[in-house]
Amino acid sequence: MSDGSSIGKMKKFHHDNVMKYVLMAIASVTVVIIFFIILFILINGAGAIGDIGIIKFLTGLEWRPSAGSYGAVPLITGTVMVTLGAILFALPLGLGSAIFISEVAPKRLRNILKPICEVFAGIPSVVYGFFGLIVLVPMLRGLFPDHLLFGTSWLAGSIVLGIMALPTIVSVSEDAMRAVPRSYREASMAMGATRWETTRRVVVPAAISGIAAATILGIGRAIGETMAVMMVTGNSPIIPAPLWNFFEMLRTITATLALEMPDVVSGSTHYSALFLLALILMLMVLAINYAAKVIIRRSRRKFGDSAQPLTPSRSYLAPLYNAPSALQMLFILCAFVSITILSLLFVDMSASLILASVITVGLMLFMAVGSLRSSKYRQYKEGLPEETRYKISKNSSRMLRSATLTGVFIFVWMIASLFTDAFISAAVAFVVIVAIVASAPAARRMSAGWKEKIAHSSLTVVVAIVVIILIALVYDIVSKGLPALSLDFLFGYPEDGGTGGGIFPAIVGTVQLMIGTMMIAFPLGIISGIYLSEYAKNTRSTRIIREAIDILNGTPSVVFGLFGMAALVIYLGTGYALIAGCITLAFMVLPVIIRTTEEAVIAVPKELREASLAMGASKWETTMKVVIPAAFGGVVTGLILSLGRAAGETAPIMFTAAVVFRSSISLSLLDPVMALPYHLYFLASEVPGSSVMQYGTALVLLLMVLFMFAMASVVRYKYNKNIKW
Amino acid sequence: MTDTNVMDIEGFNLWYGDKQALFDVAMNVRKNKITALIGPSGCGKSTLLRCMNRMNDIVDGCRVQGKMTYHGQDIYERGTDVMALRKRIGMIFQKPNPFPMSVRDNITYGPKIHGITKQSELDEIVERSLKQAVLWDEVHDRLDQSALSLSGGQQQRLCIARTLSINPEVILMDEPTSALDPIATAKIEDLAVELEKDYTVVIVTHNMQQAARISDYTGFMYIGRMIEFDRTERIFSKPSDELTERYITGRFG
Repeated sequence: MSDGSSIGKMKKFHHDNVMKYVLMAIASVTVVIIFFIILFILINGAGAIGDIGIIKFLTGLEWRPSAGSYGAVPLITGTVMVTLGAILFALPLGLGSAIFISEVAPKRLRNILKPICEVFAGIPSVVYGFFGLIVLVPMLRGLFPDHLLFGTSWLAGSIVLGIMALPTIVSVSEDAMRAVPRSYREASMAMGATRWETTRRVVVPAAISGIAAATILGIGRAIGETMAVMMVTGNSPIIPAPLWNFFEMLRTITATLALEMPDVVSGSTHYSALFLLALILMLMVLAINYAAKVIIRRSRRKFGDSAQPLTPSRSYLAPLYNAPSALQMLFILCAFVSITILSLLFVDMSASLILASVITVGLMLFMAVGSLRSSKYRQYKEGLPEETRYKISKNSSRMLRSATLTGVFIFVWMIASLFTDAFISAAVAFVVIVAIVASAPAARRMSAGWKEKIAHSSLTVVVAIVVIILIALVYDIVSKGLPALSLDFLFGYPEDGGTGGGIFPAIVGTVQLMIGTMMIAFPLGIISGIYLSEYAKNTRSTRIIREAIDILNGTPSVVFGLFGMAALVIYLGTGYALIAGCITLAFMVLPVIIRTTEEAVIAVPKELREASLAMGASKWETTMKVVIPAAFGGVVTGLILSLGRAAGETAPIMFTAAVVFRSSISLSLLDPVMALPYHLYFLASEVPGSSVMQYGTALVLLLMVLFMFAMASVVRYKYNKNIKW
Repeated sequence: MTDTNVMDIEGFNLWYGDKQALFDVAMNVRKNKITALIGPSGCGKSTLLRCMNRMNDIVDGCRVQGKMTYHGQDIYERGTDVMALRKRIGMIFQKPNPFPMSVRDNITYGPKIHGITKQSELDEIVERSLKQAVLWDEVHDRLDQSALSLSGGQQQRLCIARTLSINPEVILMDEPTSALDPIATAKIEDLAVELEKDYTVVIVTHNMQQAARISDYTGFMYIGRMIEFDRTERIFSKPSDELTERYITGRFG
């Protein structure tokens, strides 16, 4: 040292070093949780593999535990079909609304529509199920009296799930479109493109990965959904016949778990088979979430600075792509016929036709895209003459068009065949195709201004439909629930098996569950979030923690319930108990809390930290005194929202804590409780003649959740007002 | 001098919400000349430029009043075809903003919007525009690569080529070199001078030397007002306004 004043060495046990490991240990709890969840599912599911045989389980066509047949195919089909239908319903509406909100709506309208969307994403699924059961199911029965005996059906399930997935799809894809740099829009408009042309050709293509991710997240949410589906699909474990008959009842994996778990003997083959189902469900959701993650990562790269050049890859199927189009058509026709004949060996005519058509359409799309890519590759590598390149692109767009038309034909035919015989349906589908082809030239000649007008007004209609559905839901519950509200209702005990009296114990139970969840999840979640944003470096252990959080976040709520039951209620022997419910709910909201905390903390500007560190504060001091106070509003908002989510969840508590009736309020952690969402489910599905009570319960639950939202926005507003950077 | 006016601006005011950003601005744009707008940050030069092809329309709460004509036609008249206007008056932005598409698709975007579908014609346009923007030699062998893989200067010239692809009459440039290094800047300046033969250019710049080097006319703006508008030599040799003189001699800015 030149000037003699020593700086000294840092103490080995300086609190900065110690705190780092303490925080890391707490953040690792998530890893432990997910490890135990998977462990319990595997251990409990292993028995079924031995008893039933994995092949038999995965290929069996009958699910009848009472007769000893455990075939998962009807349940997997049910899950896939309901989800597919939900996406078919939600995607056009959701995407249209997102485009409207992001690109068409004036600022003031956008500021109303966006928060509405977010509120609807927070409404408990049991409320959606209730709405489906009370309003939608009778409506469908009225619309299709010949096809729907009860109204509960695949169709009803898909619509309810679709409505539930809508807010997610709208909000995430709207974010993706907002994130498209303004400069792209300006560049397009500056060249005289209309708003619609800009949207269609620049904004949507640029945001396509985000939109895809939104769709996948919506699918993920729909697949793991339990309560709403269980209430409206009829729950018959059968495969629809024909396969696309959306009037049939069906049953999903989640519904099976929720329906059969409470009554099953622990340790039996049936018990074990349910865990195997849960494993399949988790794998499905994980695969979907992983796909979303990959797509999001790719879209980040696209807007990042290090843009990858678009070098098309060499394809070994090039001879197929570049064959003359007549040959390609012949190939496709052969494929169609041979697939139909082949699959006739295994399934009936309609199923093989549909299989063949779907594969054929896929093949056409594949060839269209492939020939374009390979022509780009050859252009890039070998300098393909312009003329050839032009021919190829024309060829491939022709292929694309015919694939679309074939797809439309099959779709129309399938739907029509549910109502009338095969010949007439084919005729109807043919007429639709002819109409489309005939109107195409007229559409092409239309001026850009007219196209914009038509596009924008159809978008407006779409948004109007969505808003009307959502408003109808709230209006129905509020208008019919208000008369039920009285002091007796709020502070009374249920009477006459739920058809009279009040819901006091359910309200108290829900509050108890929330407080317990809060006490477990908040410290864990906040500390983990702080660790991840302030301390964690990009090491292997950090990646493992993040991966665990992602998995936990994607785990369907019914699986948490299953875990709670196996690990707490049975293994630790708590029985149905408040504490078991709180722990299960806490695990479920933990990833949400960690994420929102992390985001709020990261949003604190670097300059604040540097200012503090530059004055000699330790990292821990900086975190506690500067960073957290600055991020306080954001953290609290996240906490309140997660609590609102916990309040409305049914599946995790229905086999860990909730019972249908309690005659007194108990403060013991080991007693079971009543809870609003479970009470609503119980009344709506098992107690006829309790309509008023149902609406009252639904309204109280809704108000509770909306209150949380209101509180969160107040906090956010105050915080935004006080702190500006 | 027989310069004809492409645009005439008189008594032009603009508000963003309640805040007035332009006060009684008057100037004109002469055909096949480069007109520069200079002034300190926030003086309204970009705002004025963005009015010339109505790009301010997409800003919420923006309101204008006064006369702004293009070949004698008031562009703020009700019923003006804004798309057609922007086709005639293109714009280059401060930061290069190529679309995340290939180089080729960036160029053909405009022509396709305006109804050209023939491949041979499009290919011609790609080559012509890139040549005009002096970019052809650098990118002709990677037309199908992402435009984002080009350097900043190349990206900006690509944006210029993209604008040229639809044959505008006027090109508005909003500080086109502020995000570029000196070498790329020099190339863009050369290009602007080159373009002057066929196009009319209006350029906003905070760089006085740039204005002096390339422009024929210069307008000096200050807090939303056009303080002085004249031939560039005059502005830089003997400005009539004291404020202008103080600015160009670097006493504030």
